[in-house]
Amino acid sequence: MKKDLKVIGKPTPKLDARIRASGQAVYGQDVVLPNMLHGAILRTKYPVADIVSIDVSKAMQLPGVVAVITGDDINANNINYKRDNPVLKRGRVNCIRDEIAAVAAVTREIAQEAVKLIEVKYNVKEGIFDPFEALKDDAPQINEFVKGDQHINIAHPFYYEHGDIEAQKRKSAVIIKTRFELPRMTHCCLAPCAITADYSNVDKRLTLYCVTQIPFLFQRDMARVLNMAPSDIRIIQTVIGGGFGSKLDMYPYEPICALLSMETGRPVQITFDREEEFIASPTRQKMTIDLTSGADSKGKFTFREARIIMDNGAYTSWGATTPFVMMQTFSSMYQLPACIFDAKAVYTNNVYAGSFRGYGNPQATFAVERNIDLLAEKLGMDKFEIRLKNANYKDELTGQEMKFISCGHKEALEIVSDKSGYSPCHSREGGNLSNRYKRGIGFASMLHVGGGAKIYPSDGCGTNLKMDDFGKLTIITGSSEIGQGSETVLAMMASEELGIDLKNIKVINTDTDIKPWDVGVHASRTTFVAGNSLLGALKLLKEKLSNKAAQLLKTEIDDLVYEDGLIESTTSGESFKIDKVVREIHFKPPNELCAVYYYYEPGSEFQDKYYKGNVSDTYAFAAQAIEVEVDTYTGNIKVLDIHVAQDVGKVINPLGLAGQIEGGVVMGMGYALLEELYSEKGYILNPNFHDYKIPTSVDIPNIHFYPVETNDPYGPYGAKGVGEAPLIPTAPAIANAIVDAIGIRIVDLPITPEKVLKALKNDA
Amino acid sequence: MSQSIKINFTINGKRTELTIPPYMLLIDLIREELGLKGTKPGCLEGECGACTVLVNGEAVNSCLYLAINVDGKEVITVEGLPVTPEGEIDPVQEALIQHGAVQCGFCTPGMVMSIKSFVAQCNKDNIIPSPDEIKKAIEGNLCRCTGYVKIVEAVESLF
Amino acid sequence: MKFNVVSPENTKELLELISVNQDRYFRFGAGYTDLLIELKKQPDEDLTVINLAQLTDDIFTAISKIADGFRIGSLVTAKRISLSKDLQSNYSVLTEAAKKLASGQVRQVATIGGNICTASPAGDMACALVALQANCEILNSNGTLRIIPITDFFTGVRTTVLQKDEVLRSIVIPSNNRKNKIYSNFIKIGTRRAMECSIVSLAYHILTDEKSIITHAGIALGSVAPTIMLAKSACDYLLGKSFSSLNPSEIKEFSQKILEYASPISDIRASAWYRTEVLGNVAKSIFEN
Repeated sequence: MKKDLKVIGKPTPKLDARIRASGQAVYGQDVVLPNMLHGAILRTKYPVADIVSIDVSKAMQLPGVVAVITGDDINANNINYKRDNPVLKRGRVNCIRDEIAAVAAVTREIAQEAVKLIEVKYNVKEGIFDPFEALKDDAPQINEFVKGDQHINIAHPFYYEHGDIEAQKRKSAVIIKTRFELPRMTHCCLAPCAITADYSNVDKRLTLYCVTQIPFLFQRDMARVLNMAPSDIRIIQTVIGGGFGSKLDMYPYEPICALLSMETGRPVQITFDREEEFIASPTRQKMTIDLTSGADSKGKFTFREARIIMDNGAYTSWGATTPFVMMQTFSSMYQLPACIFDAKAVYTNNVYAGSFRGYGNPQATFAVERNIDLLAEKLGMDKFEIRLKNANYKDELTGQEMKFISCGHKEALEIVSDKSGYSPCHSREGGNLSNRYKRGIGFASMLHVGGGAKIYPSDGCGTNLKMDDFGKLTIITGSSEIGQGSETVLAMMASEELGIDLKNIKVINTDTDIKPWDVGVHASRTTFVAGNSLLGALKLLKEKLSNKAAQLLKTEIDDLVYEDGLIESTTSGESFKIDKVVREIHFKPPNELCAVYYYYEPGSEFQDKYYKGNVSDTYAFAAQAIEVEVDTYTGNIKVLDIHVAQDVGKVINPLGLAGQIEGGVVMGMGYALLEELYSEKGYILNPNFHDYKIPTSVDIPNIHFYPVETNDPYGPYGAKGVGEAPLIPTAPAIANAIVDAIGIRIVDLPITPEKVLKALKNDA
Repeated sequence: MSQSIKINFTINGKRTELTIPPYMLLIDLIREELGLKGTKPGCLEGECGACTVLVNGEAVNSCLYLAINVDGKEVITVEGLPVTPEGEIDPVQEALIQHGAVQCGFCTPGMVMSIKSFVAQCNKDNIIPSPDEIKKAIEGNLCRCTGYVKIVEAVESLF
Repeated sequence: MKFNVVSPENTKELLELISVNQDRYFRFGAGYTDLLIELKKQPDEDLTVINLAQLTDDIFTAISKIADGFRIGSLVTAKRISLSKDLQSNYSVLTEAAKKLASGQVRQVATIGGNICTASPAGDMACALVALQANCEILNSNGTLRIIPITDFFTGVRTTVLQKDEVLRSIVIPSNNRKNKIYSNFIKIGTRRAMECSIVSLAYHILTDEKSIITHAGIALGSVAPTIMLAKSACDYLLGKSFSSLNPSEIKEFSQKILEYASPISDIRASAWYRTEVLGNVAKSIFEN
């Protein structure tokens, strides 16, 4: 029977926050095992070179060094999406991140010193650092393991289309063509990468204490790399100090650590320092987007044609598949009759890109939303009206065959327009505070998967539940906690369903030997998929409990309610404590444990070879309105207010939700204004927090969040995915606001003070 | 090449004597010598504040502090904050938790120590800080998860 | 990173240690916020660090009012400067510079002497002191004191007039003579609003009489030349003019005189063009509003 929600929707502090705030949480760098060694990696000195020779003899002689390995010493398969990345490079290096040798020693300092003693002779080569150069006919093959079909250096091409593009062009009253350049941004997880590998040469099993956000895919990949059986590898996720997509791929340091442990028969730990973190962990794709957008005389969008060249870097991670997400935005954000999308991930000798919160969508949305402002301007239309006119709607079937079973796009737009005090007569003149400071408002929307994304043969998640004889529940979920608050959301759902206190619920989610399968943390899927999986398991558990309780209370199952630790008959008012019912099941017939298992697979579809199909059970929508103040003397941008309205389906934990929104928005602000990993001829120029700037506490604006509840029919309690969405529209909304304030042309990120000042000067 | 140096100091209320290499950093003294892993190595360049501890009540980056210079001083790490027998923790930590200001939590111990020092100073000066003053007080503690909003709210709630 | 450390507790021990280490490679360590980062990047050498952090003599560690101004010991931290009411009311250019330095944790330990002796063109407190035309009091290992204007202290990027047997003991800031009003502030331009190394900085300390006539002007520029520059001709240009009623052409001329001192470089943080452009703009802003 339907009842009011008691836990869902109430602000709930994270279950694991106490242990984290107390400094007792064990992150990767805090792991200590008996007899543990420390590993360090020698990376190449030059981005591109032939390795003539490697001499490890001096390193081996250093007291305290236990093992040194090079590519010649190991038997390991290549890693990554295209299996194009050797764990330790042999013969040649292809980017400045490349691993050449590794050391295990009794202390980290000795390992690092030993690495410096390894002598490598290089034959330095010219590299290719511009993807357009790499696409020339006479360009040499950059990655020796992958020879692209269309061109030797195309790691992954994507092509999509729908509608009659030529007809739509003819219908267009305005057409805007813009080239956008999006930078390399990096995750900056506060905890640098860390792994501890523990191989037992007795039982031939490998335990990895690591920070992956996809433990089961990682386990399978690691087994393939090391020629082991997946089941002989146990992945234990330590507390993860930030993910944001960075831990979706395997990186060479992880199998290297395993290999060092196998070589020495001892546990080995590798931790990155911040510089190594900047150089050797992934980035958001740098890309060039040529976007042509059209609209008819009434402001209805007619078509988009996007042609994209992505700088893949030297190897191919999952990140090369970001066009899969980008094309959804180009094809389906706002109603659109026709679309052509062509994207190519192109090998270069730069550091390779990976997956990053938003997964290509921040880039795509930037291009789409900037062009919308340009279309509106050319049409003489209001920039809010044109968005509202084209907004997505409930039950829309898009050209790409995505089905918007619930949709809060229009409402989100209206909310942010209203709350920001925007009015069409708002103009640049109105925003002029003084000669020096100018203000403006900008809008942007976003569309993202909200019910998982079927890109792997299963997008499911398993849950085991056990309730012990004392009425305490253990949720063993396949899903992972990376700081986003998934444990708490799951415990809240169980508390809601079983009427037991949160403190009587534990969530176990870090060990592949224990937890059932889950595809991993990505695509903002955990609340939706793991939540539905848990609800399925809870239903089974309640069946067991209710059968017994109905018997004990001499009532019908439908008359039972679960509240305050009791199972109560609504007809008689009599009740039993839930733990009593468990004991009755356990110690009397049927003599069973109160344990159940459930696996949930979303109803979404694989896309066909034309990339059409309903890839997610539901979709998230959002709009942001942002007001900025531009200092025309310095070019500095002060973001004043950010209004965020997001279709979250249903608010589960308002506290965690607001945290995801605020954190995402500030990350989007960094993307808009500050962040770029600068690279010159393959070298990283700013591998530190001093020169790679992320927002500090004093940079943050007022953030106003308005959840839109569309109660999705498939979501747990109506909820849909949240995590990636908030950062996606922030950069284009900021850019649009700056243009509104000072009328400059913005086609690239980050919008640094220097670029602003230069544009002001050039336009003057 | 370098002689070891004997230091006397108080760590989390406990008087301690240790002989350490002169170049040892305070963060290594804390994490490696004393095994207190709550102090986090975020950048080791004084840019992120994850390793913030209190020396004589003041927040410093333990990665840019020579361990021998705590001689005669009082050091408090996150482990040194009181926990009652009932499991109640420091009000600063509790406020962060209740306000949803802890996500991945790697910045949190350092953030807690910066806030501890700031709150003590405000109480001493008998002032109620503005949100801008709170933001300024944690400017040296980077957080990538929360966007700082909940952290600032948590600190406001302490006054 | 390995080195020896010696920790003098008073001036006498300090001078002896400077003396006995004349033939060795040694460095002074005070707040360590720059030194440790630098040493981490260097290969280990046979280095001795003379650790000033345990030196307790007032002359090194105190802020004191003296007959013709204020004396600040070289070991006074940025935090203490930022909190000093005396300095705030007389030389807010310096307290503002101290407040804008890095972060609270860094200000807690970073010293004014370190900020000067690092001789970075981006030094915040150093820039303010140039605007204040402070004097550096330098001790040599014999105990002899020499005093040189801070404007002569810097000889290039990260180089100074300090000899190997010398140490910066203290800084003296001259009194604000014949003032009616003090216009004193530190303008720091960076990308973020915290944790920044300045892209451009401008420190100004301007005194006016009761008729708003400028009687003294000290303007220093950071991050636009190999060393912090005192914009002497721009300062002289202001003398005798009315602070509150400079006309646009005077402001422009002033700004152009400022720019004569700028020979910035392009680096990862900003181009020379940007530094020049912003410097001209913020120079004008002194006289606006």
